[in-house]
Amino acid sequence: METEIDRRIIIFILASVALIVLPHSGHIPISLLVFFYSLLIWRFCVLWDKKWIPKKWLVSLLSAIAIYQLYSLNQGVFGRDAGTSIFITALGLKILESNKEQDFYLVSYLAFVVASSQFLYSQSILMLGYILFVTCSLFAALITLNTKNNDAKPAIKKILTMTAQAIPITVLLFFMFPRIDPPDWLLFNQQNTAVSGLSDTLRPGSISKLGFSHDLVFRAKFKGKIPPVQDLYWRGPVFSQTDGLNWTETNNRHFLRQMDKLVTYGQPSHYTVMMEPQDGHWIFTLDMPTVYPQKLIKNGLFQLLNPTKPKKRKQYEITSFLKFNTGKLTDTEYSDNTQLPAQPMPEVTQLVNELKGDNDSAQFLISAIFHHFKNNDFSYTLNPPVMEINPIETFLFKARSGFCGHYATAFVYLLRVANIPARVVSGYQGGSINKVGNFLEIKQSDAHAWAEVWLENKGWVRFDPTSAVAPDQFSEQNLESSTAEKQKNFEIIENKNLFNRWVTRAGDVWSNMDYEWQQWIIHYRGEKQSKFLSSWGITGIKSMFYWLTVLVFFMLGLFTWVILRNQKTNIDKVLMTYQRFCDSLAKVGVIKRKAETAHDFALRAKQLRPDLANNISLITWSYINLQYKKDSGIDDFKAFKKQVNSFKA
Amino acid sequence: MDVNLSTLFDSANQVILGKEHQIKLAVCCLLARGHLLIEDIPGVGKTTLSHTLAKLLGLDYQRIQFTSDIMPADIIGSSIFNASKSEFTFHPGPIFNQMVLADEINRATPRAQSALLEAMEENQVTVEGVSYDLPSPFFVIATQNPSHQLGTFSLPESQLDRFLMRIQLGYPDQQAERNLLTGVDRRFIIDELQVMLPPERLSQMQNEITGIYTSPALLDYVQALINFTRESDEFNYGLSPRAGLALLTAAKSWAYMKGGDAVLPEDVQTVLPAVAGHRLKSSNSNSDLVVESLLQHVEVS
Repeated sequence: METEIDRRIIIFILASVALIVLPHSGHIPISLLVFFYSLLIWRFCVLWDKKWIPKKWLVSLLSAIAIYQLYSLNQGVFGRDAGTSIFITALGLKILESNKEQDFYLVSYLAFVVASSQFLYSQSILMLGYILFVTCSLFAALITLNTKNNDAKPAIKKILTMTAQAIPITVLLFFMFPRIDPPDWLLFNQQNTAVSGLSDTLRPGSISKLGFSHDLVFRAKFKGKIPPVQDLYWRGPVFSQTDGLNWTETNNRHFLRQMDKLVTYGQPSHYTVMMEPQDGHWIFTLDMPTVYPQKLIKNGLFQLLNPTKPKKRKQYEITSFLKFNTGKLTDTEYSDNTQLPAQPMPEVTQLVNELKGDNDSAQFLISAIFHHFKNNDFSYTLNPPVMEINPIETFLFKARSGFCGHYATAFVYLLRVANIPARVVSGYQGGSINKVGNFLEIKQSDAHAWAEVWLENKGWVRFDPTSAVAPDQFSEQNLESSTAEKQKNFEIIENKNLFNRWVTRAGDVWSNMDYEWQQWIIHYRGEKQSKFLSSWGITGIKSMFYWLTVLVFFMLGLFTWVILRNQKTNIDKVLMTYQRFCDSLAKVGVIKRKAETAHDFALRAKQLRPDLANNISLITWSYINLQYKKDSGIDDFKAFKKQVNSFKA
Repeated sequence: MDVNLSTLFDSANQVILGKEHQIKLAVCCLLARGHLLIEDIPGVGKTTLSHTLAKLLGLDYQRIQFTSDIMPADIIGSSIFNASKSEFTFHPGPIFNQMVLADEINRATPRAQSALLEAMEENQVTVEGVSYDLPSPFFVIATQNPSHQLGTFSLPESQLDRFLMRIQLGYPDQQAERNLLTGVDRRFIIDELQVMLPPERLSQMQNEITGIYTSPALLDYVQALINFTRESDEFNYGLSPRAGLALLTAAKSWAYMKGGDAVLPEDVQTVLPAVAGHRLKSSNSNSDLVVESLLQHVEVS
């Protein structure tokens, strides 16, 4: 006899399914989403009135509509998006016609597939938590459906136990099971590609927009101390060529330069750069990277490039020397970096001559320009006036306000007029420290542009002309003050009130969790796995399988043992312990009759020995629980044993 | 105890006075999806009890008075020739009701008796090759006069086995008798009764009862009881496997009524006389004492 399924269970299942599909709303076409939820709502209506049950032909019609819809989306049947759409549509149709118990089992299985497909789109901790929650609720619904017990509590308890039992095995398989990196063509196209980044053209004005975005660009985790802020210049596009308006990278960057041998000094910094999905191919590193992954290319501009423009988070191990000498300049470099769009205007030539005076040294001119910026009402602003015609001249003589891009380009331009090789470098400066994970987070708002000048015997040297006007930008020119500035800069965060400090702290904890999650879960593959496992002494795929098998069997054995031990807790042991209790009562003349149940015996014994009533009740209650009730474990038995041992008649 | 159940018992106890335990057993039997046999002399309230239960459970009720000349067709219905359509149409008999009172079942001939008992077992009726499903839920409450009365065909053991329980009502005690004599006519009270346990709730309860836990220790006890009836010389024959199942189901139902989530030995002991009484035949004494001695001989584990 088919019994009708409780309405509450169906509501529970429908709600779980609705929640499972919800995060897909950004991934599947809106028409499909509407279609799915209408079917779901329809099924809800059926719960209240049977007359809404769709006829056979109507279901066929709906299926035809669904197939047409899928066909018209032109997604085909392969691939992530197509698969997800098909599964969700099928799920909706199945829900509508579900009526019997087995239908709902099928619905649940489909829903599990849809839930797991979520991870093809997002692998964040939040998503994991959400999916875990909804699948647990679906599992709980399955349990109630199966046991016909409408009480939610035991179902929830059961699913929690099951999840807890599954965790060790999951963890084991996750870390131990050999991972093979899939070939690129097997990977699905990710839609959530890059955020905006630095562009390969600098037109003073394009960077100010970045000043406000707080999107994460990359993280850097140092082995050892984080270098001082004034050294944290993360190198990006390098601009040598200019037409007076736009600054672009030189075409010669692709040639591996016949470089003078690079000389490095001091202690190297070792760090890991974890890039967010990006549009450009620059890997932002500190000058001067010397050790880096093989697939990266270091070109003549000292940039590190990833030729593939990764669409996913990727991380790289880098070693940089912060002190170095790049040596001599080639002819190509010289002509690239002294190039001018046209003959400079007379007032510019005049200014340069004024600044350099009789002194021909580059060093002197540089400090003169810095003084010029400092002493002539130049100011720093993120909202400069528009300078479309002759931007550099306008900036130098009229506007006298701008941001890093203006200062860097004007600085380089002036040096080039004096025939000194110079170029503009853009990238990021500084970053904020995550105190929990002790790594730097570099956001779009840290974007910056500075200058590089080639000096005799020193090679390329970095100068930050913006620091002449903006106190919180640093360069080698004002090294001492900048250290003080730096302290101040970090202290500002500390000085805020307690609440703000907690908010900052919580933010740090969260970012750190996300970082570790990326490090250990999402990026745990191939190389990382073998590294991790070899730290436990497991090397090679053979021993990996060997250990996996051994540990899985060990764990299963352990579970079996625990379950068996808990389940029976040896009825004989319970009986024997209870017998001891009966014996001690028998000594004082309270004898249990053969046919008497524990309960009846306790009633009689309590009448005969009212002084022991409490203990008798307690022991009898424990005994009944152990012998006849569900879910009594080893701990209950221990408690019972203790009670009996301390019982004295 | 469940609220529905306690109000049900309160109402039933107002109609049938002083028979709390028997009423509980009767309800326990229905919750366990079993059929009930009431055995007693005429006039102690067998009919009243069944009628009251039908009313309180909101079930279609039909009484079939068994007589020595009753025919199977009088119970299950028959096909009658319809001249206008020139075909036979089936006219369902009184058995097509959710609760059927088979009154004085042992006054009928074995042929009529077995027609009823087959319907009880199969939950369907077959007439001339066509099967008709009986309604759901389907309960039979049969009453039986003591077999020593005149004009009775006592039910064979195989058919007694079909009843989950057999209860006896017995005379009311002094106080109940007095209240009965001075009170309103029972028939009026029955007419006024409200449905206390609607069929949906009943089937829900029946489902919940299947989930009542039986521990290994308790199963040991039940098996020990069954084995004792099979091995001891006291009984002509032991309890059948069906009887064992019946005992366990009834005990679950009883535990559920008490509000427990697991069967305890006292639940088994309480239902044992009603479940085993009509299934056991002693070689030397009457059935009540048989069950009593069975309980005394088997150790509770």
